[in-house]
Amino acid sequence: MKLELLPWLILFLPLLAAGGITLFTLRYRTVSALLSIGAIVTGFVLSLVFINANGWQPSSAESIANWLTIGGLHVDFGLKLDALSLMMLLIVTGVGGAIHIYSFGYMHADRSFSRFFAFMSLFTFSMLGIVLANNFIELFIFWELVGVSSYLLIGFWFEKPSAGDAAKKAFIVNRLGDFGFLLGILMVWGLLGSLNFTVLQNKLTADPAVLGGMATVAALLLFCGAVGKSAQFPLHVWLPDAMEGPTPVSALIHAATMVAAGVYMLCRILFLLNADALHVIAWIGGFTALLAALIAVQQNDIKRILAYSTLSQLGYMVMSVGLAGPTPAMFHLTTHAFFKALLFLGAGSVIHAMHDEQDIWKMGRLQKKMPVTFWTFLIGTLALSGVPPFSGFYSKDSILGQALSQGNYALFILGAAVAGLTAFYMFRLFYVAFLGKPKTQAAEHVHESPAVMAWPLRVLAVFAVIGGVIGVSQTYASQFSPGEARESFGQSLVEPLTHSPAGVLVGLAFIAAGFFAARALYRDAASDPLPEKLGGLATAMKHKFYFDELYEATFIRAHDFIAAVMDWIDRWLVEGLCIGLVRGGTDLSGRALRLVQTGNLQTYAFLFVLGVAVVMYFVLGK
Amino acid sequence: MNASLMSLEIWVIALGVVLMLADFGFGLAPERRRFLAYLAIATLGTLLITNLGNYTTGTAFNGSFVEDTLAVFFKRFFLVAAMLVLFMSVEFSDRIAGGITEYYSLIVFALSGMLFAASANDFAMLFVSIELITITFYVLTSFQRGRLISLEAGVKYLILGALSSAFLVFGIALVWGTTGQLNFNKLALVAAQFETNKIFLLGVLFVLVGLGFKIAAFPFQIWAPDVYQGAPTPTTAFLAVGSKAAGFVLLLRVLFTALPDIAKHWADLLIVISGITILYGNLCALPQRNLKRLLGYSSIAHAGYLLLGVAALSVSGQAALLYYLAGYLFTVVAAFLVICVVMRHLDNEDISALAGLHQRSPLLAVTMTLAMVSLAGIPPMAGFFGKFLLLKAVIQQGAINHNHGYYCLAFTALVGVVISLYYYFGVIRAIYWSPNTPDLSPIPLSGPVKFSVCVCIAGMFWIGLFPSVVFNLATEAAKALSL
Repeated sequence: MKLELLPWLILFLPLLAAGGITLFTLRYRTVSALLSIGAIVTGFVLSLVFINANGWQPSSAESIANWLTIGGLHVDFGLKLDALSLMMLLIVTGVGGAIHIYSFGYMHADRSFSRFFAFMSLFTFSMLGIVLANNFIELFIFWELVGVSSYLLIGFWFEKPSAGDAAKKAFIVNRLGDFGFLLGILMVWGLLGSLNFTVLQNKLTADPAVLGGMATVAALLLFCGAVGKSAQFPLHVWLPDAMEGPTPVSALIHAATMVAAGVYMLCRILFLLNADALHVIAWIGGFTALLAALIAVQQNDIKRILAYSTLSQLGYMVMSVGLAGPTPAMFHLTTHAFFKALLFLGAGSVIHAMHDEQDIWKMGRLQKKMPVTFWTFLIGTLALSGVPPFSGFYSKDSILGQALSQGNYALFILGAAVAGLTAFYMFRLFYVAFLGKPKTQAAEHVHESPAVMAWPLRVLAVFAVIGGVIGVSQTYASQFSPGEARESFGQSLVEPLTHSPAGVLVGLAFIAAGFFAARALYRDAASDPLPEKLGGLATAMKHKFYFDELYEATFIRAHDFIAAVMDWIDRWLVEGLCIGLVRGGTDLSGRALRLVQTGNLQTYAFLFVLGVAVVMYFVLGK
Repeated sequence: MNASLMSLEIWVIALGVVLMLADFGFGLAPERRRFLAYLAIATLGTLLITNLGNYTTGTAFNGSFVEDTLAVFFKRFFLVAAMLVLFMSVEFSDRIAGGITEYYSLIVFALSGMLFAASANDFAMLFVSIELITITFYVLTSFQRGRLISLEAGVKYLILGALSSAFLVFGIALVWGTTGQLNFNKLALVAAQFETNKIFLLGVLFVLVGLGFKIAAFPFQIWAPDVYQGAPTPTTAFLAVGSKAAGFVLLLRVLFTALPDIAKHWADLLIVISGITILYGNLCALPQRNLKRLLGYSSIAHAGYLLLGVAALSVSGQAALLYYLAGYLFTVVAAFLVICVVMRHLDNEDISALAGLHQRSPLLAVTMTLAMVSLAGIPPMAGFFGKFLLLKAVIQQGAINHNHGYYCLAFTALVGVVISLYYYFGVIRAIYWSPNTPDLSPIPLSGPVKFSVCVCIAGMFWIGLFPSVVFNLATEAAKALSL
């Protein structure tokens, strides 16, 4: 393997930047930003250089440094280098880099500019660690680091109570999933005696039944980690609240990094997941996709709509993994990274121009004032809706095709319906926020964002258009199903039609239906007509099907009750009775014994002789 | 007879005489007298290197004086202790109205008594060396003649000391009367015959009473707090370190060279005494506000910890005891050095006087903190590893003998440690977190004080972090005993 040092550099440059900013350049805003941006962009360039030198499948897939050995547990600190991780490397550094550059403009007025970039670099480092990890321990450490840095970023404006709460919520909900994940890792180690992915894969290939009856349990425990990190039902509640962070953070979390980690992890450990587990995974993914799409239909906050669309798309990816299709999952993850980052940054651009207004019903007619934002956002919307020939079309269609080829028609219809819903809520957003009449004074006086924000939009828009046909899918396929012939550009352009024409047609029909419904309802609407038509369902959608309230009433209430009982026990039984008695008794005996020391010499002499007598009795008396 | 074995003792006595005469002969100006102390320190340092760096083992005076690894270990210990105490005395000299040179020479004479004690191998030598130490300390304790509390301490020490000496000499007489032997080695040969002779056992017991008084073990500890509080601070430090160690070396010799057969039967007695001593010292220290008195109680508790090593009746226990003493030396001297400097102008040594010490003198605050941490037995300080070794020896012995008393003793010792954390950290709290700090004037430190403080800190860390050197010496020394 050539240039083995490069992946190490790519991984640790952001950490160096984070450390350097925190320790030295907190006061120099521009230097801090350049350090952070420089680290990630350099990482992107180095990734390109490395791939250019070694191809997508380097001769040795791992670069290992021994880390620690405790008894039978041997943990390496190694880097896994194959098509999957190299592609992710490009996405994380590429899309992440665009977001970093954009942040330079977006966050410019913020007081804690340097701190922001230090956190961003820490986040990037953690995410790269997940991507490159070659064993479970390393993966889990970076997994938790992502959790910590997301906590820091979501709660970046910690002076706002809602931001603090959202950060806590994200962290705690993630921890719930991570607990299962950790149990799964321990179980794998207990059953197979190794944590290295390559070793595990070899063991399972040699003897597929080695996990025995625990295979499904272990697989589902590992899936718990992905449920938390990729915000699948029932742990999906943290992701929309995470919108409290600055918009570039939302873009970073939603597009290229954190939520992608769960899907990436599932693809990385696909060999550990058996058929039963995959079945559960597919249905959880499908259900999440539907649930989130329904909720998105009745949201009015531009970032929340995008947040639920992320949930929905993640549902697609998880569903695809569950349908034994890692290639479509990673393909969709990649195209999603492009257009979702684009949409979030576009939304940020609007919010920036509207002076922190996020309600779509207060915007309107932005195309003249903000042409770059308008056109790029339109591209993002088309791509997300799955309109051909934008990138989303190819990736979403490959997932639907996967469902068809697996013969799972229920999930296929579900996926197609969600695609229709996606088109509906995205065009609802687009018609209300960007077209129609300006609904407020602020909407009439907006200005286009500066170049440092506009250029990342343009670049991402290009990839949102062409992302489906530049060989992403084939690169993943080279890893998951080696041996397939590579397609030419022309072939990949019409690939969906040749592969499964029925799937394409059904999908497009749903998308068209969604689009026309949105056009009919929202073209010139001043307020949302849907609640009247749907009644109670619309209210339920608006309130996210009351999941937060449900959790509040059950888990949190129960938790608070247990905490109160424990507090009482600690305060009165442990602290009061046990410790209090012991402490009081000790103190009292100390004070009592002190009275022996009267200072009177006669007493002392008497006690001395008494002591002699006692000892004499003790030794000779018996 | 091989008098060259005693050259160290002869040199030290000569040094004491020279110090005493120097004051008469030269009529030094008071501020020059401290050079006499430095002269004494330099001499002792030279002796430590030349005389003990390359020693020969053997016996002298018909076997009543023995030079072996145990004796050499303790002689080194006493020399270092005396040097540090002399540094402290110089710092203290402004508080002693007259005769500071005599104070120095008395310390040197007490040192010579300790050196003899380290080598004592028969009861006559034992008695003479103990009296040399004790009588010198009567004077040292009441040296601040202007202070009532110092005189009171001296009188108490004198009377109770005389009482214990009476028991000691009576015990020696009974042992000699029954066995006809004074020499430890010869006594060991015949002692087994007298195992059931109550007169003999009474004699042994009285000897142990006398030694128990020296080390302040329960139930003969009663004098310690009053004397510690009243005596001039350098005296207290020397009492806590030197006098206690002398008691322990004699106790080891009597129990394990002279009477190993008897000692084996007294495990229970030693366990009980050790446990009660630990609890008594620690419990009484809890409500203390006077720092020197607190350290007095703490020294009782430490006598109890050291007795763990005796009660273990094993080589590893004795080695642990010696190791613990070495760490204790630097720790206690450090604490008393700080008291000596900080409480220069105060009548009573209340803990509140330490308030804000970290601002007045960071070095002293750190020293006191480290000393307390080491006394409490927290890693990586010397006290931790010492306590660990002692407990290990006790538990080992419990496992070998199936004697549950040893487990109880180990548990008691741990309880004692927990209790002690409270008052040791109370001192640290007083330094750093006192609500009102009336006096924040910086404390000037002289060069010698800084030097000796640094030596103590280095000693605490060195013994704690690199235990092997001292532990090997201690193990070698413990092998000199028969058990």
